[in-house]
Amino acid sequence: MGKKPSSPPIIIIRNLNKEFGKKKALIKINLTLKEGDFLTIFGPNGAGKTTLIRIISTIISPTSGEIEINNKKLSQDPLEIRQQIGLVSHNPFLYGDLTAYENLLFYGEMFNLKRVKERADQLLKKVGLSHRKFDLVRTFSRGMLQRLSIARALLHNPSILLLDEPYTGLDPLATQIFDEIINSLKKERCHTFIMTSHDLEKGFLFSNRLAILVDGNLVFETDQKKISPENFKKIYWEKVKGDEIF
Amino acid sequence: MKFFKSIIILIKKDVKTELRTKEIFTSMFLFVFLTLIIFNFAFIGKEINQNLMVGIAWAIFLFASVLGLSRSFIHEKDTGCLEGLMITPTDRSVIYFGKAIGNLFFILIVEAISIPMFSLFFSEESFLRSPLQLFGVLFLGSLGISSVGTLLSAITINTKARELLLPILLFPVIIPVLISVVKLTIYLVTADPFINPNFWMNFLIVYDIIFLLIAFLTFEYVIEE
Repeated sequence: MGKKPSSPPIIIIRNLNKEFGKKKALIKINLTLKEGDFLTIFGPNGAGKTTLIRIISTIISPTSGEIEINNKKLSQDPLEIRQQIGLVSHNPFLYGDLTAYENLLFYGEMFNLKRVKERADQLLKKVGLSHRKFDLVRTFSRGMLQRLSIARALLHNPSILLLDEPYTGLDPLATQIFDEIINSLKKERCHTFIMTSHDLEKGFLFSNRLAILVDGNLVFETDQKKISPENFKKIYWEKVKGDEIF
Repeated sequence: MKFFKSIIILIKKDVKTELRTKEIFTSMFLFVFLTLIIFNFAFIGKEINQNLMVGIAWAIFLFASVLGLSRSFIHEKDTGCLEGLMITPTDRSVIYFGKAIGNLFFILIVEAISIPMFSLFFSEESFLRSPLQLFGVLFLGSLGISSVGTLLSAITINTKARELLLPILLFPVIIPVLISVVKLTIYLVTADPFINPNFWMNFLIVYDIIFLLIAFLTFEYVIEE
């Protein structure tokens, strides 16, 4: 993994709470991630995984608690934090009536990037979509949308990449291509990842940190090296009490 | 500077999308055209009161605007792009102003095409007597509709009956704008001495400024659900 033993924390989450009316979506979440970490958060539907990702990416505000990213508080400096975060969700955040290239140019301009055309070309090549550069995004398959979504998230070269159930709706071939892109990003060692997933095996293989979220509580967190895949599966099922059917 | 640049980028994107799909413009324009035909048949052989005609014109513009306003956040919401915009390092009010100016642009285009059609259908040239002043009234009236409508469109976008809810919320709030623009337009068409144009013009400007300020201050909370 890209984890450096002496690297300082890049993300610190302290006592994070989120309530939607009377419903407590997240309860006292505490997490610390170092540069190069790949944390996968597992949990059943409605556990609060997406809510956590939405708070870290500044889409919604927490009810209480604080998040620090690169020594900047999310509540005080959200614009600066957005410069450092890329988000890939099951929703690609792409405009169907614009071409792949126009989508990247639009987001690149919103991020105030210089040489945005060059960067868009470079990323389209990286995700293998150069040949569909001038095609309308609404003609893309689900797999192609997710690849383009990665290119969109990487436009501003973020140090933190948030992956919110990125495999939703992907067929095996698209999943394989997506895996290759994530692996090549990991090899670059310049990103810290937080991924949410239902896929225990894939999440275990990708990560150096594992966490389980149930009913808004972070019930388990460990280094991947300290646990075997079998034990992790066992712990996962104990924690979610067999609620989830895969 | 970046604030205004981001607004322009957003408007350019919306105009480009609209030029491709023609969804908003076509529905607004067709609505105005068909309503004019219906009124034309209704008033055949009758002398039309100019005050009534002005009221009809603004009612048609308002209903046509609702068609455009209700679509303004749908693309963003259905494709998740609203969240995509929310994670860009720009103030959230950029999204509001980009959308509000885009809506204003579409409403003004439809009005610009409709005014000559009004003259044609009702053989009424008085609409075009003071084109500059008329443009001023159309601009301020449409700005009022767009500023309030865009904010309410963002509020209703997360509801199931969003296309029903928008007019229900919009019409009561927009009444002061409608009264002002109708009074001002009647003044331009008939030079009615009982209408004080300065009062209504100032009223309209203050209304527009207040609602633009309210939207600027609240939009961040509105789109955060």
